[in-house]
Amino acid sequence: MFTRRRPRLVALLLSAVLSATAGATPPGSHPPAAPASPLAKPMPAASSAEDDRAAEDSANLSASARRIYDIGRPRLLQVRTLLRDQDSQASVGSGSLVGPDGLILTNYHVISQVALEPQRYRLNFQTVDGVTGALQLVAFDVVHDLALVRMAKPGPGVAARGQFEFRPAATPLAQGERIFSLGNPLDVGFVVVEGTYNGLVERSFLPQILFSGSLNPGMSGGPVLDDRGHIVGVNVATRRGSQQISFLVPAEFAQALIARSAQAKPITGPVEAEMARQLLAHQQQLTSRFVALPWRETKHAHYSVPVPQEDFMRCWGSSNPSESKGLSFERSDCQMDTAIYINEVLRTGDLAVRHEVYDGSKLGALRFAQEAGQSFRNEGMGRRTHDLTAPKCQEDFVESAGLPMRTVMCLRAYRRLPGLYDVAVLSQSVDAKTEGVQGRFDARGVSFENAMLLARHYLQGFAWKRSP
Amino acid sequence: METLALIETLDRDGQPRQVLRVSQWPVRIGRAIDCDLVLDDPHVAAHHATLALRDDGVHVEPAASLNGVRLGRAVIAPGSTPVLSSSSTLTVGATTLRVRLAGEVLAPEQRLLDLLQYERRHAVTLMGLIVVAALWQAFSLWLASVPGAQGSAVALNYLSAPIGLVVWCALWAIGSMIFQRRFAFWAHLYVALKWLLIAVVTQAAAGQLAFALSLPFIDKLGRIVFVAAIAMMVWRHLGLLMPSRRRAFAIAIGSAVAVSGGLLLIDRGMQQQPLIGDLYLGTISLPGVRIARTVSADAFVKSAAPLEKTLARWAKPGDDDDAAEVGGDDD
Repeated sequence: MFTRRRPRLVALLLSAVLSATAGATPPGSHPPAAPASPLAKPMPAASSAEDDRAAEDSANLSASARRIYDIGRPRLLQVRTLLRDQDSQASVGSGSLVGPDGLILTNYHVISQVALEPQRYRLNFQTVDGVTGALQLVAFDVVHDLALVRMAKPGPGVAARGQFEFRPAATPLAQGERIFSLGNPLDVGFVVVEGTYNGLVERSFLPQILFSGSLNPGMSGGPVLDDRGHIVGVNVATRRGSQQISFLVPAEFAQALIARSAQAKPITGPVEAEMARQLLAHQQQLTSRFVALPWRETKHAHYSVPVPQEDFMRCWGSSNPSESKGLSFERSDCQMDTAIYINEVLRTGDLAVRHEVYDGSKLGALRFAQEAGQSFRNEGMGRRTHDLTAPKCQEDFVESAGLPMRTVMCLRAYRRLPGLYDVAVLSQSVDAKTEGVQGRFDARGVSFENAMLLARHYLQGFAWKRSP
Repeated sequence: METLALIETLDRDGQPRQVLRVSQWPVRIGRAIDCDLVLDDPHVAAHHATLALRDDGVHVEPAASLNGVRLGRAVIAPGSTPVLSSSSTLTVGATTLRVRLAGEVLAPEQRLLDLLQYERRHAVTLMGLIVVAALWQAFSLWLASVPGAQGSAVALNYLSAPIGLVVWCALWAIGSMIFQRRFAFWAHLYVALKWLLIAVVTQAAAGQLAFALSLPFIDKLGRIVFVAAIAMMVWRHLGLLMPSRRRAFAIAIGSAVAVSGGLLLIDRGMQQQPLIGDLYLGTISLPGVRIARTVSADAFVKSAAPLEKTLARWAKPGDDDDAAEVGGDDD
């Protein structure tokens, strides 16, 4: 009966399939607003003194945006993924020069096609002044969605372009500070976008900067600069169906990646083993933090249900109308906001915990059993795909703290990332004739050992409560 | 006078239209009125063939004709005069003749499929089946409904299955009309209801039992019984149409089920799906139905350890990497 939400973050990669219509509608976004939106109406005329001050302020602001763009201009690039055998572009993103000899910082998801299928794709860059050339993949941090690429044949002019500096960690930004995002949205041209730094996104397992400014597909991987032109973050994603809710990878992860890998040789072989290593490290951290947290108290009279703390998850509740004549239920749906981008269809490295509490007193025992079974059967466990095997399940009656349940645990292995699994645990109480609880726990991209650990932790969160 | 043979002129349904008692040989066959067997068939010559007695039996002696003579299925070659065996069929022009000779061994008497008797014999059982099916249908609809659901919608749901059944049986009865000259609706209704009920009730019972004992394979067995019962039903319907072909129908249905079942199993195996039934047992029953004991969360998780091996095998890079993309995104 659960419905699964689609991932709500949209990565800012602009792929060629979408670019045909990109001029009118950015992929993953709503149709353009009607021209006569109330927000666009001219403000009523203000007094002349205010007018002057406003004009002066806006001149300053616009001057700083221009200055930032001037700083960024020589070091800003578009990163293109081209088909191996022809010049058609499959997707485009942005990047910034961050080292000598043409070292470029961008997003992992901008270069993911090349990383995963080098036999089909290659990388290319174009600077603002029109210089183009081939790129080589140097390193990536799939968890934070970052990558380093290097110009294959850095021309003599590269050194003259200089490189971006990073804002020192000792001087953190304050909320409300103006920052500037650079990139090439929708392949229409290089732009500078002013916006506001609003701290880190709350309750996010992977730190992300909340940027109040408009990011669009194609800007992925572009640098975000403070008013001195130092990098504070990297464009990465925007929230679907929102206004100016955009996300940046904090600069510290980019600096760490550069420190680690600036001298590395270009990657020529398969990347899956390294990717799996990074994801295994991530899931180890995530699992240990998750199982260290106690479950929250639930208010139900008879059931204790595992509901996670909201440290790095968000929970949404719903229920059906009380006048409903059939099964009444209350639902809780907890998910992590951040999922790790692997390829166009595969996201991983996150957890979800959901449950529904059923009251079937209006239905009677037989019809309640029927409805409960329907709900239990309806759960999707997935099929074999390009990236994952089909699910394989274990099922039994499980008892936790006096509560007997019908429990199914299904696992799927990653076909290209050795050692990683998706696990789903579905459990429904079978203790009462006209009431019950059904819970589901999902973890994506965990080791087998941690899948077992999480499943045990989850099942042990159920309990039967004696009525007060 | 002694009857030496019977020559029957058959119509297109194989029933005799004209019978000639032969009391002396030879018998001349043709369109001319001086023939012993005169055929009004424009594809027959004036003197088309002669049946003549020789020492070793009755021979067919074709005369010169445009269309020739067939004995059984074989065309008689010019100049050849084959001997007739018992109950031979001759084709002259467009006319089929059956020649029966005196003294030939008769096939044993066959039991009559008397559809009227069949329906009478099963009348009481049929009434019982109708009552049980109506109750079953009412119960399943009640189970799936919520209190105060719209009556008309429920009634429509209730009626759709019986209407489908009536149409199904009427189509078979039309088949009986063609092959047995009788619109045997009740006989087909008896067959359909009996096997459908066996199929549906077994499957439901298997689900409940599988839940009670926590043995999902019982549910899978129930599905096999379901398919077998449906195959049985079709075989019985066909048997009512052509009782003499039951063996052939059994072979045909058996091999159809085996071939399609085999293909399905291969496909499911390639998709790494369970060969029979669902991924997991979907039946939830009343608390009192459960007989199987519970295990602790820890023991349950430990029991899942073998999954790792299976998944490792499934995840192994194969040569069907691209074929597997049909699964698509599963989110």
